[in-house]
Amino acid sequence: MFVARSIAADHKDLIHDVSFDFHGRRMATCSSDQSVKVWDKSESGDWHCTASWKTHSGSVWRVTWAHPEFGQVLASCSFDRTAAVWEEIVGESNDKLRGQSHWVKRTTLVDSRTSVTDVKFAPKHMGLMLATCSADGIVRIYEAPDVMNLSQWSLQHEISCKLSCSCISWNPSSSRAHSPMIAVGSDDSSPNAMAKVQIFEYNENTRKYAKAETLMTVTDPVHDIAFAPNLGRSFHILAIATKDVRIFTLKPVRKELTSSGGPTKFEIHIVAQFDNHNSQVWRVSWNITGTVLASSGDDGCVRLWKANYMDNWKCTGILKGNGSPVNGSSQQGNANPSLGSNIPNLQNSLNGSSAGRKHS
Amino acid sequence: MSGTKPDILWAPHQVDRFVVCDSELSLYHVESTVNSELKAGSLRLSEDSAATLLSINSDTPYMKCVAWYLNYDPECLLAVGQANGRVVLTSLGQDHNSKFKDLIGKEFVPKHARQCNTLAWNPLDSNWLAAGLDKHRADFSVLIWDICSKYTPDIVPMEKVRLSAGETETTLLVTKPLYELGQNDACLSLCWLPRDQKLLLAGMHRNLAIFDLRNTSQKMFVNTKAVQGVTVDPYFHDRVASFYEGQVAIWDLRKFEKPVLTLTEQPKPLTKVAWCPTRTGLLATLTRDSNIIRLYDMQHTPTPIGDETEPTIIERSVQPCENYIASFAWHPTSQNRMIVVTPNRTMSDFTVFERISLAWSPVTSLMWACGRHLYECTEEENDNSLEKDIATKMRLRALSRYGLDTEQVWRNHILAGNEDPQLKSLWYTLHFMKQYTEDIDQKSPGNKGSLVYAGIKSIVKSSLGMVESSRHNWSGLDKQTDIQNLNEERILALQLCGWIKKGTDVDVGPFLNSLVQEGEWERAAAVALFNLDIRRAIQILNEGASSGKGDLNLNVVAMALSGYTDEKNSLWREMCSTLRLQLNNPYLCVMFAFLTSETGSYDGVLYENKVAVRDRVAFACKFLSDTQLNRYIEKLTNEMKEAGNLEGILLTGLTKDGVDLMESYVDRTGDVQTASYCMLQGSPLDVLKDERVQYWIENYRNLLDAWRFWHKRAEFDIHRSKLDPSSKPLAQVFVSCNFCGKSISYSCSAVPHQGRGFSQYGVSGSPTKSKVTSCPGCRKPLPRCALCLINMGTPVSSCPGGSKSDEKVDLSKDKKLAQFNNWFTWCHNCRHGGHAGHMLSWFRDHAECPVSACTCKCMQLDTTGNLVPAETVQP
Repeated sequence: MFVARSIAADHKDLIHDVSFDFHGRRMATCSSDQSVKVWDKSESGDWHCTASWKTHSGSVWRVTWAHPEFGQVLASCSFDRTAAVWEEIVGESNDKLRGQSHWVKRTTLVDSRTSVTDVKFAPKHMGLMLATCSADGIVRIYEAPDVMNLSQWSLQHEISCKLSCSCISWNPSSSRAHSPMIAVGSDDSSPNAMAKVQIFEYNENTRKYAKAETLMTVTDPVHDIAFAPNLGRSFHILAIATKDVRIFTLKPVRKELTSSGGPTKFEIHIVAQFDNHNSQVWRVSWNITGTVLASSGDDGCVRLWKANYMDNWKCTGILKGNGSPVNGSSQQGNANPSLGSNIPNLQNSLNGSSAGRKHS
Repeated sequence: MSGTKPDILWAPHQVDRFVVCDSELSLYHVESTVNSELKAGSLRLSEDSAATLLSINSDTPYMKCVAWYLNYDPECLLAVGQANGRVVLTSLGQDHNSKFKDLIGKEFVPKHARQCNTLAWNPLDSNWLAAGLDKHRADFSVLIWDICSKYTPDIVPMEKVRLSAGETETTLLVTKPLYELGQNDACLSLCWLPRDQKLLLAGMHRNLAIFDLRNTSQKMFVNTKAVQGVTVDPYFHDRVASFYEGQVAIWDLRKFEKPVLTLTEQPKPLTKVAWCPTRTGLLATLTRDSNIIRLYDMQHTPTPIGDETEPTIIERSVQPCENYIASFAWHPTSQNRMIVVTPNRTMSDFTVFERISLAWSPVTSLMWACGRHLYECTEEENDNSLEKDIATKMRLRALSRYGLDTEQVWRNHILAGNEDPQLKSLWYTLHFMKQYTEDIDQKSPGNKGSLVYAGIKSIVKSSLGMVESSRHNWSGLDKQTDIQNLNEERILALQLCGWIKKGTDVDVGPFLNSLVQEGEWERAAAVALFNLDIRRAIQILNEGASSGKGDLNLNVVAMALSGYTDEKNSLWREMCSTLRLQLNNPYLCVMFAFLTSETGSYDGVLYENKVAVRDRVAFACKFLSDTQLNRYIEKLTNEMKEAGNLEGILLTGLTKDGVDLMESYVDRTGDVQTASYCMLQGSPLDVLKDERVQYWIENYRNLLDAWRFWHKRAEFDIHRSKLDPSSKPLAQVFVSCNFCGKSISYSCSAVPHQGRGFSQYGVSGSPTKSKVTSCPGCRKPLPRCALCLINMGTPVSSCPGGSKSDEKVDLSKDKKLAQFNNWFTWCHNCRHGGHAGHMLSWFRDHAECPVSACTCKCMQLDTTGNLVPAETVQP
């Protein structure tokens, strides 16, 4: 059972992204009001806005934290075609005494010719790296070779995806058995049936990212994509927000079986597909163990998904966007606020569907 | 508006009313049904609203367009544009206020009859009504009427009046418009510009035109096909939308030459385009034969900064109902609310939700942003433990020091919450393994100790020579059954299963007693029976029945047992074979399976999955021959590995097989905590070095770090280094002397009881110890504490502000803390430092470094350093 409470955000326009730092004690939000706000959690559990500043000259789509071992570092991306890296500094002013912290821009990444739609720091074992993707269909991977100098970022890789990109996700696995990997989603809505999710893998030999997989079954616009925290599993879990919620598993076929040097082959299974939102799914997010998925949809609801011991994924909670519980929220399916009773109910689709995972 | 395709309008002021118009006008009232039942006769609009029909007006046939009077009073006054170009004022109001009564029924008649396409009330002068008409030769197509204007029968030729209306209504006819515009043209759509009362935007035949009523001879126009449905953004008065076929054009009236942008073309022609009145920059569009309303969220003020800039558009679509939508209307005041009507007049009331972005925090709370608001959602604590996610479970288990009880290893399952039978089995297995490893090592060092942790599978395989079976007598029965003679390996296996205790004694008595004590009557009875002691089994069952806690039916089972007969064709045997399948308890079930089985085939027992693996394996060790046993263990091991069942660790032990098993357990549950602690219990180094094991450990440490369970992480690392010394990190910091450059801890390490060197230096007296306030290499003094100005290495004197007596109490209370106060500490940024205790007390009240003219904010530099470990906050 989940209970929600409201926090006065004081953004002047839509909030596009929320992001937690590694410890969950700090949070960043970004908005169409072109600003980013940083929030700190007090010991009593309340959130206090400790910094708010104008970051871009356009809507800020995403904000994300670097691992704290690189310092207090944020990255943001915007419609203004740039991404930016920010660092908190302890300045000369008495900001801290007023409960405010000071953030300075360390770099602006200006390589994109179109809106930068997502930015994500790479898992920390890869060093201080970040990836951006943009509406012109290019994923760019930058690296700060000197972690002490955040103003120097070199563009390491440019991956062309051929389709307008909307979201990226690094595979968080730090296992040496897994090469660095990044999944890219496209929200291209032109009526072609091209696959909207591509997965690129770093090849040690060529030192380039090469396409490892394309999820051919995902042909509708993808709004969000998220690898689950790997947590020692032998396979990867990928959640996709498209016209429905989808969960895929990618099990690497053991290296010795594949020809060395080539991209890793994966056994890909779709383990769940839910259209309970009955509309476009906007965001997906995994909890720290990759065992509970939260999704939000255009039905204005947040849904939680969890697999039981048989690996059947089920809806375990529904909440409305304003935090109020949906009637009978413990039960799945009977929540469909946008539909009246005079309209035939889509009982089948509301009950959701789920496929059992197959191991081989 | 044809008769079959309804349109829908919200009342501009009485916001709980709307009108549906097709061949007639129907006024509805909307009510919330959140706290009440659906009333009889009302139509459900959504989960929490319903509509009641208030009135129907069918006075005005041939309706082409309708517009609601914008003033608050009179309510429900509507202008209806008809197919013949007349505009009629009509009302749906119940109150016939005399003041406005004369307005109702008033007709405004154009010179030549042709279709009226559009109507628009002036938002500033509420009496002005603009009507757009089809083309009629050189006649005007835009007529602006003043609804309060005097009737003009004297101007209109009498015969025409007579032709057009009945005698009584003649007085209500108006034929003289206030303005006539758009000569020799057709008007398809109209809207008043809020900038000025006298500016009217019209979609004409081939162009968009702005008429200025202050100077009707002039108009501003732009040639375009997008002339339908012109509408002004209520939040941005220079922004206008119009459409043509499937394409929407957005105009900026300040640079009217061409559209500032056009939206993605739709395959079907558009029927309606409307700005949301309650939110900036949200445009809704509808196409023919579609059940989707497409929304364009124009996020920015489309200020033309340069030629290249264009507003951000977030395109969305909503599907309010299954049927095609005939028309829709935004609610004038409710945020993002809209009502839609389908061709068969079903209606649906819904809200366009803002897109929600969300994020999980490392602890189990979910944050999301909806519109401009943030919501934090946390899991309620007092939850059914079975429902809890593994993340929550691991957190709680880490706090209860799960996995760290290395003496009473079995107790770890209690620390885990004593709720998972697999964990219970695992920790008992590990407990027995530890116990018997020690046992064997004591007896014959270097012999088979390592084998114990390799699991029963390896133990059984290692058995040399055939095991003979011999016939054993049942106690209390005149029967004999073949039992394998127990060799050393089998005894060890039985010990690991927990059936027999340490030593060479093969008596299951103590085990039975402990089972009975825990109330596991059925299991105890089955074990007794498998040891050929039917009397004990019956006795246990009786005990269970009479204890009150057990099932009374156990007596019945005991009775059935006592009737046991060896005869192959007896009625007892027949009944038992059929009825045993109906027994709920698996142990009762296998007891009868055992009794009714043929000698040598015990599949009914061995493959009863509900019986604990340890009992089945112990049974197999007792009754199966070597080849059978090996085959059975092999099969069971694979089954356990496949399922990731922790009971199987008994078979695999902490070997590569065990890692395989644990891998499928982790794949299934994500429980890296159990995996890490289990593998750290006694795995040989090569297993511990397995990439997967290292990866689990790394992941678990990362979890503890993210939860700020740093103390637990440190404890885990200590625990880990016991088994894997290579994981111990090297010394991290050396302090070297300013003068000679040698590490000052060099000589300290030579002095006993000074692990941290100078830091611990307290009472001196021994002449052999070097003076700690100086460098052991060159004897030069160490730097001074920035606060007490005494060379480092001296014990801390009384803290500033604290009286001496307090200090003494403090010291005796917490000696360790006092010692910590003596430690060196310094800021990496400004390189000033001093005694840890002095520095801490300084920074309690100050932000800047205590050294004069140094403005370094030493304590604030490290954000992570200021975080408190979560364990100290939570009990």
